[in-house]
Amino acid sequence: MYINTKRDVRSVEEIDMINKEVCSTGIRELDFQMSGGIPLGSTVLVTGCSGSGKTTLCMQYLFNGAQNDDHGVFFTITEPLFKLTKNLEGFSFYDKKLIESGMVNIIDLRIISERLGLDAEKYTVEDAGALLDILKDIADELNVKRLVIDSITALCYRLQSREMIRDFIFKLGTSLAAMNCTTLLTSEVPPQTYKFSQYEIEEFISDGIIFLGDIERRGDLIRTLQVVKMRGIAHSRAKFAMNISAERGLELVPLLKTSDVESLLRR
Amino acid sequence: MMVDAIIEGIKDRVAVAIKVNQSVGIQVPENRHTDLLETLFNFMLSNPNDTWAFVTASDTYDHISKTFKEVSEHTNIKFIDCISRAAGISEFHDNCIYIESPTMLEIAGLEIMNTFQGVEDEVDKYIVIDSLSALMIYNDSEIIREFVSILMSRARSQNIHIISILMEEEVDSNKLIQMNDKIVVLRDSFIE
Repeated sequence: MYINTKRDVRSVEEIDMINKEVCSTGIRELDFQMSGGIPLGSTVLVTGCSGSGKTTLCMQYLFNGAQNDDHGVFFTITEPLFKLTKNLEGFSFYDKKLIESGMVNIIDLRIISERLGLDAEKYTVEDAGALLDILKDIADELNVKRLVIDSITALCYRLQSREMIRDFIFKLGTSLAAMNCTTLLTSEVPPQTYKFSQYEIEEFISDGIIFLGDIERRGDLIRTLQVVKMRGIAHSRAKFAMNISAERGLELVPLLKTSDVESLLRR
Repeated sequence: MMVDAIIEGIKDRVAVAIKVNQSVGIQVPENRHTDLLETLFNFMLSNPNDTWAFVTASDTYDHISKTFKEVSEHTNIKFIDCISRAAGISEFHDNCIYIESPTMLEIAGLEIMNTFQGVEDEVDKYIVIDSLSALMIYNDSEIIREFVSILMSRARSQNIHIISILMEEEVDSNKLIQMNDKIVVLRDSFIE
């Protein structure tokens, strides 16, 4: 069905999309690709290999949100807090006051595990369930609108079997869907692969997938970003070159389409 | 060095061409490259209210700033150095943005356009690419063609003028220089 206005013709679906509430990432070009941002309440998998920019993207998302009064929480299981904040200090989007005021909370899940008396290296189903409950309580308590888990891969790594991982991921999906926040889950994949997750289940609980990769051009690696999936909105599926700078954080620019002949021959 | 009359001649010619046209390609013999740079920097310094992004892939910024000392003192010129890091030079200057490698054309393009962020509409804005021939050492000519084409489109949309330099000796340069609205050919002793 189409509605004819004086200015142009838009489909009802398009109008619905325009009206849909989205959570701006604060990364201008990324928001533009997603018709303004991530649909509110979505769970998005941010996937990429080590050093691809997953943590930076998530942090920029949290700090930009906090500038607009969205409380955020970052659960880390891979990096100690001091190291994480030290790496952030160089970025202009980092504002220590937002951490001090409680707008952005960075929590080490391993410390919570210890306090719960859990074995930090190996989780049982009950342990994982308890951790999920704590995670939900913290999010509710802090009135969090933006939540990040870095990384779902490391979290699942502590579970003993594939079945446990599958059950945990589905429980996580259900818990996140019930929370009133927009979530980013980081997912580690090996370099130079077009794979979204380690356990190949994570993508099924996700409403969106943002893939961070790289392309090789004459031996140099150029970072790339691609929105592979984002339920509920029209989004670009084009691959963008990505730059990470202290001044502006993540920046995107369309990737040049012409393939380098030498790189093609090497593939 | 060329005689002053010729330098003045190029300066006038380029000044007129770039005011009238959105993009100007300057073809120059390699042995006249330094003279052309001197002319362009003179032009930039005599127009301190304009904003310039100078992309260098031929010479390092360090070398340019030592050769043309006044240039580094002018904040209206932002340098984007595509060659220093690839050459293993780790010098750092506030007035220059260093691109990791001349193959990272997208990042160079991003930094070029960032130069003009916040610059008022009424200010004249220019991009100089020095040179397409140098970029072609590190990239295929087709990808340079795409890079220039996209850069020109973005520049046009923001009313930014582009001057691209090409070495006369570069045999594959013909297609690239034809992309410009105006071509100025500089010979050893006269301007065509």
